[in-house]
Amino acid sequence: MKQLVRGQGFGAIIGVAVMLAVFTLIDFSGWWTIQTISNVTQFTAILAFVAMGQALVIMTKEIDLSVGSVYGLAGVAFITVEPALGVPASFLVALGIAALVGLVQAIAVVKGELPSMIVTLGGLFTARGIIYVWTGGSVHNFSPDARSHPLTRLLGGELFGIEAAILWLVAIAVILSLVLWTTPFGNRLLATGGSRESAESRGVRTDRVKIAAFVLCSLLAGFAGILTLCNQPQTHVTLGENMELEAIAAAVIGGCLLTGGRGSILGAILGALIVVSFRYELIALGAPSSWYITFVGVVLITAVIFNQKLARFLGHSV
Amino acid sequence: MNFNKPMLVSALLAATALGGAAHAQDSEKQYRFVMVSHIGSNDPNMGWLTKSMEEFEKKYPNVKTEYISTNNYSVQEHVRLLEQAISTQPDGIAVPIVSSDAFEGPLRRAIEAGIPVVAFNIPDGRPEGERIPYLTYVGGDEFLTGKRLGEYALQKVEAGEIPKPAHVVCASHDSAHQGLKARCAGMKEVMEAAGAKFDELFIGAEPATARNTLQSFLQANPDTNYIFTVAGWSSPWAWGVANEMKLDPDVDDKGMTVLTVDEGPVSIEGVRAGHILATNSQGFWLQGYAPMEWLYWNKQFGYAPQSDILTGPVVINKDNADKWAELVRGVFGDKAYDEQNTW
Repeated sequence: MKQLVRGQGFGAIIGVAVMLAVFTLIDFSGWWTIQTISNVTQFTAILAFVAMGQALVIMTKEIDLSVGSVYGLAGVAFITVEPALGVPASFLVALGIAALVGLVQAIAVVKGELPSMIVTLGGLFTARGIIYVWTGGSVHNFSPDARSHPLTRLLGGELFGIEAAILWLVAIAVILSLVLWTTPFGNRLLATGGSRESAESRGVRTDRVKIAAFVLCSLLAGFAGILTLCNQPQTHVTLGENMELEAIAAAVIGGCLLTGGRGSILGAILGALIVVSFRYELIALGAPSSWYITFVGVVLITAVIFNQKLARFLGHSV
Repeated sequence: MNFNKPMLVSALLAATALGGAAHAQDSEKQYRFVMVSHIGSNDPNMGWLTKSMEEFEKKYPNVKTEYISTNNYSVQEHVRLLEQAISTQPDGIAVPIVSSDAFEGPLRRAIEAGIPVVAFNIPDGRPEGERIPYLTYVGGDEFLTGKRLGEYALQKVEAGEIPKPAHVVCASHDSAHQGLKARCAGMKEVMEAAGAKFDELFIGAEPATARNTLQSFLQANPDTNYIFTVAGWSSPWAWGVANEMKLDPDVDDKGMTVLTVDEGPVSIEGVRAGHILATNSQGFWLQGYAPMEWLYWNKQFGYAPQSDILTGPVVINKDNADKWAELVRGVFGDKAYDEQNTW
C-alpha cells in the first residue's frame, strides 16, 4: 500500500476512482454498459499512446507540441504510400517519418539548445503543412485489399474479441514501464529531468537521453495514427488536430510534473482515460459537446494542484 | 436581364463562363482580385474554387486572381488574413461572411476605401439594411440546404423507403460557423415539424475525436435514427460509427439514415453506394467564378447586381448521382475523383 501511495501514478488512480464513483452515482445505467466501456477504452487506447510518449518527454523536463501533427502525418503517410509500397512497407515508412521528425526536433533542442516548446511548435506547423501540401486537402482512400491485409487486421481489427488497439496499448505500456523502472535508461531518463547537472555529474549523457525520449514520443504518436487508420480508414487532413493538447493534459493529469523527473506510464494511460471519459459522460448527460474542453481545463488545473501537493507530501521537491 | 431570378442569373453566368470565349483586351486596365476563403487546402472543395478562378483568368487575361485561405476552422485567423489582403489594396475582394460581427469592421473599411466586395459561400444573414454593404452574395442558401434535404427525406418517408425520423442529430465540425448553423437550422425546422426531436452536436474536425463524440451521443440517445453531417468528408465517419454500433446505416426502410452536403466525390459516391440518402450541390464552381465576374463588371463598367445570386441548393440523390459523378469527374479528373472517394 505504501508503495502504491508513493507510486507516481497514485494521483491519477485517485482521480479515476473519484471519476468512476461520480459517474456511477449520476449515470449508473448509462455508464456501466459494455458499449460505453468499449467506446471509452478504444479511444483511450489511441490517446494513451500519444500521452505515454508525451509523458516520457515531460519526464526529461521538455515538452513536445508536435505529437498531434506527427500522429496525423504518420497516418496520412501510411495511407498515401500504401498503393506504391504495400501495407508492411508503408507501415515502416510511416514510422520512419515519425521517428525522423522526432530526431530532427530533438537535435534542434539538444544540440541547438533551443526551447523544446518553440522547436516542437514549429514541428506542429511544419508537419501539418506537409499533410496539406502532400494530400491537396484530401486524404486518399485505403483500398479493399489493404484493408484486409493481415497486418492491417492485426493493428486495427479485433483480437480475441478485444479491440487490437487496447491489446497493443497493454503490451507497449508494460514494455515501457519495465524500461522506465527496471533499466538504466529509465533511471537516466528520470535523472535527466530531475536534475540535469546532477545527472551529468554522474556520467549520464543527458543529450542522448533526451533525443531518445523525443524519438520514442514521435514513434508512439505515429504508431497511434497508424492504429487509428487501420481501424477506421476513412479519414481527413485534420487527423490529430489539437491532439497534442489532450495528450499533454492526459500526461499532466496522470502525474507528470512539467518540472521534470516525475511521471509514470500508468499515470499517462489513466490521464487519457479521464480525458476521454469526461468527453463521453458530458455528452451522455446532455451537455453541449463544446463544454468538454472547459471541463478538461478544470480537471487539468485541479490535477496539477493535487499532484503538486501529493509530491510535496511525499517529500519530493517540485 | 431579370435580376430578381437568382438561379437564372447563375445559369447565365455559368453559360458565359463555360462558353470559354476569351475576351482578352490588352489595352484594358490590369486588375487584381483576391478571394479570402475559409476553404483551405484542408478541404477538397477548394479545388472547385481555384479551378473556376483559373478559367476566369483564361477569359480575362488582364485580371490576376489570388486565392488565400485559412487551413483551420478559425474565425480569428480568417479575419487576420482578410485584413492582410485589404492592406495590399486589391481591386476587389470575395469573402465568405463566416461571422458577421468579426468581418463587419474590416469589410466596411475596405468598402469605404473603394474596394468592391462580393460575399460568397456564406452571406451576412442580417436584414438588407443592417448587413455589410457588399455588392452581392454568390452562393447557396445554407438554411435552404438543410431544409431541402430534410424535405427530400420526408418525401422518402412518405414513399415508405426510409424510416420516419424520431430523433435527428446534426453533426457539425465548427461550432462558430454560422453557415453550418444555418444548415442545421433548416433541417431542424423540417424535422421538428414532422414530430422528430432535434439536436445539434459539435463533433470537431479531428476524425477520432469526432467518432468518439458521435458514438457517445448515439449511445446516450438510442432513439436517434437520422444523422445529418454538415460536411461531406465527415459523412463516412458518421456512417462508420453507426455501422460499428450495428445501427444499419445504409439507405433502407430500417435503422439509421445518413444525410450530408456537398458535391464532392465522398458525398456523391456515398449516395451511389447506398450509404447516404442524399447530399446537395451549392454550385461551388460558380461560387469561384461568378464573384470574380461581378467584381470585374463592377470595376470595368460600374455594374452591380440587384439581388443576391443563389447557386444552390440542388439535391443530389440516387436518381441523379451518376450524372453528378460524371460532371465532377470532368472538373477534377478521374484519378483525383477516385482518390477522394474514401468509402
